Amino acid sequence: MRHFEDTLAYIDRLQRAETTDAICRELLGVTSAFGLTALMAGTVPQPNTPAGRQKDHVMLCDWPVEWLQRYVARNYVVHDPVVGHMKSLQAPFQWREAATTTHVDRDAIQVMGDAGEFKLRDGLAFPLVTLDGTVVMVSLGGEAVELSNAEFNMISLVSTYAIGRAMQLQSLQSRTIDHVELTPREIECLQWAAVGKSEWEMSQILGISEHTSEKHLLSAKNKLGAVNRVQAVAEAIRRGFIS
Amino acid sequence: MYALTTSELMERPDLWRAVHKLRHEIFVEEMGWEALRRSDRLEIDQFDHDEAVHHLVIRNGELAGYQRMLPTTRPHLLTEVLTDLYVGTPPAGRDVWELTRYAVAKGYRDGRRGVSTVGSELIAGFVEWGLSRGIDKVIIEFEPMWVLRALQLHFLATPLGYQRTYGRQEVVATLLTFNETTLQVVRNRRAHFAPVLKTGTPELFSWKQAS
Repeated sequence: MRHFEDTLAYIDRLQRAETTDAICRELLGVTSAFGLTALMAGTVPQPNTPAGRQKDHVMLCDWPVEWLQRYVARNYVVHDPVVGHMKSLQAPFQWREAATTTHVDRDAIQVMGDAGEFKLRDGLAFPLVTLDGTVVMVSLGGEAVELSNAEFNMISLVSTYAIGRAMQLQSLQSRTIDHVELTPREIECLQWAAVGKSEWEMSQILGISEHTSEKHLLSAKNKLGAVNRVQAVAEAIRRGFIS
Repeated sequence: MYALTTSELMERPDLWRAVHKLRHEIFVEEMGWEALRRSDRLEIDQFDHDEAVHHLVIRNGELAGYQRMLPTTRPHLLTEVLTDLYVGTPPAGRDVWELTRYAVAKGYRDGRRGVSTVGSELIAGFVEWGLSRGIDKVIIEFEPMWVLRALQLHFLATPLGYQRTYGRQEVVATLLTFNETTLQVVRNRRAHFAPVLKTGTPELFSWKQAS
């Protein structure tokens, strides 16, 4: 009961976080009690992603600065066994499993050794799936990690809320004005245009002047951002105004 | 999407059958909820009472999507069956309904891991349906992966209890609160801005169903 109320309080604070830094802080505030003090979350870049673009994949990051610099500079994402294991497994695991089950080469050993220098010796990683099916990997690390199943579930749930909040902030920033409202008359005219009626025919069917039906179509065309009537009809179908 | 009360649904034997058949196919045969198995292969439970509301998405003259809304002012799944999914007192009231049996028929699950257009019509549908009735909260018992999707759609989400394992599935009961912004975000994601909630009952099913 007590534990659950704590979890709720964390989640409540996460959902009110206004910056990604605040989200990281809140999440690590929860996980550090279990020895997890570093956080990296984002989509996994393809192997050929240039180093400069790797940061576009990052959603939340609270790593030791020097470790992050080294990781990027040496392109460790390509050799990191945790990343590799996530790609093939797509299920939760502990870092130490990645080091034993996947093919671990010299580069991977180098990454792990380096991580150890920054007190990142073990951790856990789990995937989250977004609406469009993209996999987001959350990786939490620290010196020693011992978690019960219930604790793991709690951490993965709170992390889900953290990523969700990060995605909300992202979409609020990039929200473009893509909302279109059409009047019933405009929709009616588009419907008749879709079956090949001329403005004169529309005016007869709807009992309005030819000029008025032309006006409705023009206005609908502008609202839909179309260059001509054909595109306006296509766009109206795509958006579900007419069928 | 159509919203029908149980008695409206029962006036249409073709739809009633399609609903319970789809529920059996998905929840018993596909997801393995053996306790619900019936020899007539129609899944029906004690919550298909006269205050339940059935949401149906029809495509090509067949039932492509379904969900059932239950009022929390009387016993519902969380309080009667899934009682280990909540801690404390679960939310209840005229503005809170429980969404159960969310189902997308097999042929309509486009996208490998994403949400299909039928699936998102059900989501847009319950938000529209709720907002027009003064309902702005639903309780859903779903897989934890849905939490992220709900947040992406700008629902406010609150877990109601601990995550549990039922058979092969992880389940967490969650309260989702929504408003006009949620509806706009859902419509934006679907690139479909017209209301999806239709009035009346669907056309007669196609010959495929009648045979």
